[in-house]
Order: sequence, then C-alpha cells, then structure tokens
Amino acid sequence: MLSIKNLHASVEDKAILKGINLDIKPGEVHAIMGPNGSGKSTLSQVLAGNEAFEVTSGEVTLNGENLLDLAIEERAREGVFLAFQYPVEIPGVSNLQFLRTAVNAMRKHRGEEEMNAAEFMKQAKEVSKQVDLDPSFLKRGVNEDFSGGEKKRNEIMQALLLQPKLAILDETDSGLDIDALQVVSNGVNALRAEDRAILMVTHYQRLLNHIVPDYVHVLAGGRIVKSGGRELALELEERGYGWLGINDEDTSN
Amino acid sequence: MKQAPMLSSAFLHPAGQTLPEPLLALRKQRASLLVDMPLPTRKTENWKYSSKYLKLTDEMAISLPAEGKAGNSLAVSGYKVVFRNGILIPEASDYPDMDGITIQSFSDLSNEEADVLALQLGSTLDHDQAQFARLNGARFDDGLLVRLDADAVLDQPLFIIHETAADTSGSAFPRIFVEAGANSRITLVEEYTSSGDAPAFVNTVTEFTLADGANVTSIRLNMEGESVQHIGATGVVQNHSSRFESHCVGFGGPLRRHDLQVRLVGEEAETKLNGVVVTQGKQHYDNHTSIDHVAANCNSEETYRNIAADQSHAIFNGRIHIHQDAQKSFADMNNKNLLLNNGAEIDTKPELEIYADDVKCAHGATIGQLDEESIFYLLSRGIGRRDANVLLTMAFINELVSQIPLEVVRDTAQIRLNEFFEQTFQEI
Repeated sequence: MLSIKNLHASVEDKAILKGINLDIKPGEVHAIMGPNGSGKSTLSQVLAGNEAFEVTSGEVTLNGENLLDLAIEERAREGVFLAFQYPVEIPGVSNLQFLRTAVNAMRKHRGEEEMNAAEFMKQAKEVSKQVDLDPSFLKRGVNEDFSGGEKKRNEIMQALLLQPKLAILDETDSGLDIDALQVVSNGVNALRAEDRAILMVTHYQRLLNHIVPDYVHVLAGGRIVKSGGRELALELEERGYGWLGINDEDTSN
Repeated sequence: MKQAPMLSSAFLHPAGQTLPEPLLALRKQRASLLVDMPLPTRKTENWKYSSKYLKLTDEMAISLPAEGKAGNSLAVSGYKVVFRNGILIPEASDYPDMDGITIQSFSDLSNEEADVLALQLGSTLDHDQAQFARLNGARFDDGLLVRLDADAVLDQPLFIIHETAADTSGSAFPRIFVEAGANSRITLVEEYTSSGDAPAFVNTVTEFTLADGANVTSIRLNMEGESVQHIGATGVVQNHSSRFESHCVGFGGPLRRHDLQVRLVGEEAETKLNGVVVTQGKQHYDNHTSIDHVAANCNSEETYRNIAADQSHAIFNGRIHIHQDAQKSFADMNNKNLLLNNGAEIDTKPELEIYADDVKCAHGATIGQLDEESIFYLLSRGIGRRDANVLLTMAFINELVSQIPLEVVRDTAQIRLNEFFEQTFQEI
C-alpha cells in the first residue's frame, strides 16, 4: 500500500530525513519509535504534504500512485490521514461544519452525492460516541478550548469519519492520561481493517500495549536503524535506545 | 503655501422646498456655515488615510430626483420606509400607525413639530469630527422622524431602505432622527443600496437619543455600488440605564466613510458596537468611532473586524474618551484585521483618553493574514484550498455576523460575502 524509498527531506536547508525505506501492506499496523529529534514527526508531516518541509530525494507511493506529486488535499482525498500531534484550534469554524466540508470534499472526489446537514449530523453523533466525545463538541469551534485529550479524541473521530486508506498517528498518546489513552486506543483499534494501513509514531511504548503493532521500526538520525516485531518495542522499553548506539537522554520511560 | 481645496459652492444649494418652514430655515442657516468649508486633505488628522479617495465634482452637487429604478434591497415583509435619493417614498413604504409611536417624513411635519425637531437635529454629533454632517444639515431634502413615547415598544423591526438611483450624476442627503422615550424599545435597520453607474455622492446623518431605560438596536448595512461615494455619520446620546446596540456591516466602494459617535451621559448606560468591513479591488472603507464616557458606571464594548483583499484599503479609528467624572467606567475595544493580499492596506488606530482614575479600559488591535497552520490542517482533511480560505475568512467574522439579531440581514450579508469569496478566492 505505502512504499517509501530512500526518502530525504529537509527544513530550512537542514537535512532531517536521510534515506527512509519503508513498506506497509494493507491491514498492517507499523510503529515508528525513536528519540526526540530523530525525524518521526517530520516523516508524518512529509507524508501529509506539509510544504514547510522540502523533499530533496526519494520516492513515496500509495497504491502505486506517486504521493509526492500530489497537493495536500489531493493526498487526503486519495486516503492519507494524519492525526496531528498538536491539532490546530480554529475558532469561528464549527467542528460540525469543518467535518462536513471534509467529508463532502472526499465524497465529491469519489463521485458520490454530498451529505446534507441532517444526514451528516446523525453520522457524526454516532462517531463522536465511539471516542467518548459529547455531541456538544460538534457545535464548538474546531478544537477551540478543547483539552489535550479532547483534541486527540477529535483527531481519531475525524479518522473514523473519513475512513482513510493510510492513517498516520503522530504522537497520538502524548498528553493523555490512562483513561483517555484507553478511549483513543479503542478508536484506533476500531480503525484497524484489512484494507487499511496504520502508521503510529510514538516516543513511548505504552501506546503499543493498547494498539499492538505488527512491526516496530526505530528511527534515529533520520534513518530507520532497526526493524522488528512487537518484541522490539518491549526490548526498547527495557533497555532504552542506548544498546542501539543511539544517544537519547530524554528516553527514560 | 498652497491653498487648501474648498467645498465647491455648487454643493451649497439645496433642491427640495417641500420641508416645513422651520427646517428650511435651519438648512439655510447651516449652509451659511459651510461657505469656505475646507475639504479634508492628508494633513487633516481624521481624514489622513481617506482624503485621497474623496472626489467630489460639481456634477455631483445637484440633488438626484426622487425617481428612477430601485436597486436590490432587503426583501422584507415587515415595517418599511423607502427613501429614494434622500426623499421618502410613501407609496413604497409601509409603516405602522401605533399609539405612542410617531413615524413621519420631515415633509409631513407641522410647523410646530418641525420647530421642536429643528432644535434637536445635529445635537448628538460633534461636527468637528464628522465634518460632512454639516453638509447634510445644509442639504437634506427630506428625512424620517421616529419618536417613541415612554414605554412604547415597536413590535417588529423598522427597515429603512435608502436607494440611490444614480442614472445621472448627483447627490442624496438622507437624514433620520430617532427619539426613544423612557423604557421604549426599537430595532431599526438602515440599508444603503444603489443602482445605475453615474458617479454619485451619498451623505447621511442618523441620530438617536435614548431616554432613561430606552433600548435601541441599530443595524446598518452598506451595500452601495462602485459609483457611489458615501459619507455617513451616526450620533447617539444615551441617558440613564439605556442600552444601545449597533451592528454595522459594510462593503467597500470608491469612498466609504462612517463616523459613529456615542455619548454616555447618564449613569449605567450600556453600549455595544459591532462592525464588519470587507473590501476588495481598489475599494476603500473608513470607520471612525468615538465613545464618550461622560457619566460614571457605564459600559462600552466595541468589536470591529476588517477584511481587505487585492489592493483595497480599510481603516479603523476607535476613540474612547473617559471624562473626569466617569468613575467605574468599563470600556473594551477590540479591532482585528485580516489582509488577504500583499497589496491590501489596513490602518488601525486606537485613541484612548482617560481622565478618571477608577476605570477598566482595555483595547487591542491586530493585523494578520490567514494562518498557514490552519490552512494545512484543513487541506490535510481533503478540503480544497479555496474552501479552506473561505472557511477561515468567514471564521474571522462569524462571531460578529452571528450576533446580528435579524436573519434577513444575516442572509443578505452572507449573499454579498459569498460574492466576495467568489471573486477573491479562485478555484485552484
């Protein structure tokens, strides 16, 4: 489904990604772990198309289509979804209006009828229950004055509504208490499907107790330095990053 | 030294003679004060950003006739007064005959009534700040008087539609005077529209006096076309425990100027001023507001938003004057501005003069562009760039548009806003 070959990217002429290679098949859940500054978030942003990052070489395809040639919104319409580490607050645009505009943009792209307000409201209410967000959140401004946990749940709710082919979760566990982590994890597990790939970016392994990945990759210095199965995450928890020759003062678990 | 340009004497000759004698006399007296009135230049402080947009020619001095085709205006079924080129058109109007409420054209007033009105006209305004209100005083051909006796409540909004039919060049000088008695209540909508494309000049004055406990909601919708220069002034005087709420929505033009002056002369009066301005192309819009806290314990809350696209120019000047005896005043002024293109210009200036020591006074002004992070967030959900721009621009003024208490006004404004979005944000 997703194929990344020798991806290099920089921001303001500073190289961050220095040759990423990764293949994800439909139905698989991959976790990318690594210390701060290793390039985890950059990888997420580059895949979503953030223009603040420049791809200097390499190739990314989604179901054979060159992702790097597509504009941000076209990638989304082709099925790329990024759950933001820091979701943006947009006062003045209601969550409902935002979500309906997004869903209808996708439907239009697929040649489907747009949903009217009533139809959409019904669906949005159902999905908001799945992530334990009160429907009143739909009427509030996008992420406006949401707590950290509410913002993350709102991200997962969007993924459930938009039904992407590739869901990228950028530090979705950060800032969550244990109950919120459980809710968010349930939402992510509900996303797991045979025709969908999930890429989780996380600093800590605790998320992986709730969402069990098929593969774990360690990112350091802009490259994937080790790949393995679920057990790799446990080993990292036990031993830190040091045994891989990675200096990470921040990782203490 | 170069002589400052003067208002052409062609502007000093009123047309209509249908007004009652006391108002004709008043007009004549006001005209005599206008001889040698200097036109504002960029050295005139309260016109420095706008004087270059003012282009009055002698052809525009003549009063436009009270006929011609009507422009698009609010489709309303309630109480309605239609002015065409500054003259009240009774057959197009439909307003109530209710006990305790007088709604009348200036031309229909008796000499006794006109005597009373003559003493009131202009009393709410500082003419040194709103210079062109003087010109209206010398030129108004007709006007609307609204008097509410104590406790009178107008049960529906009163729509006042000002149509400028500019098939030929000329001017219109509509005037409104509203006297709201103690504990009376009214919602009044002024809409300014135009048809025709000859250069025209519209010069308005609207005045409100609020007795103790009166409650007035004023909505002003400026929708005139590209050939109309508009200079309007609104004066408000508020007595004890009165409440005034204003919603001004304006779309730009070759020259747009509105002075809004509020004087809080009775304690515990409350005023709320909201304003939205949208400009595009080479348009201009200048809002000058002024709130005088004369009495103690009054509240004022002001929120204005400007959006400027292309090479347009929007100006906000907000003055708050807290007089020495106005202790326990609360004043909050906020002006935010959105520049949609590099060629657009916005000038904002808060002016605070505080002479009392126990007051709460806050002000803030910002100028910014659409937030890139927000755009990325919207695009990343599959929303197209055009829609993202529209959502974020609308978000900038949604709070104010949604506060307008009448749906028909919100809808009319939204249609015009959608046209603006259509022209400003191209499909990519």
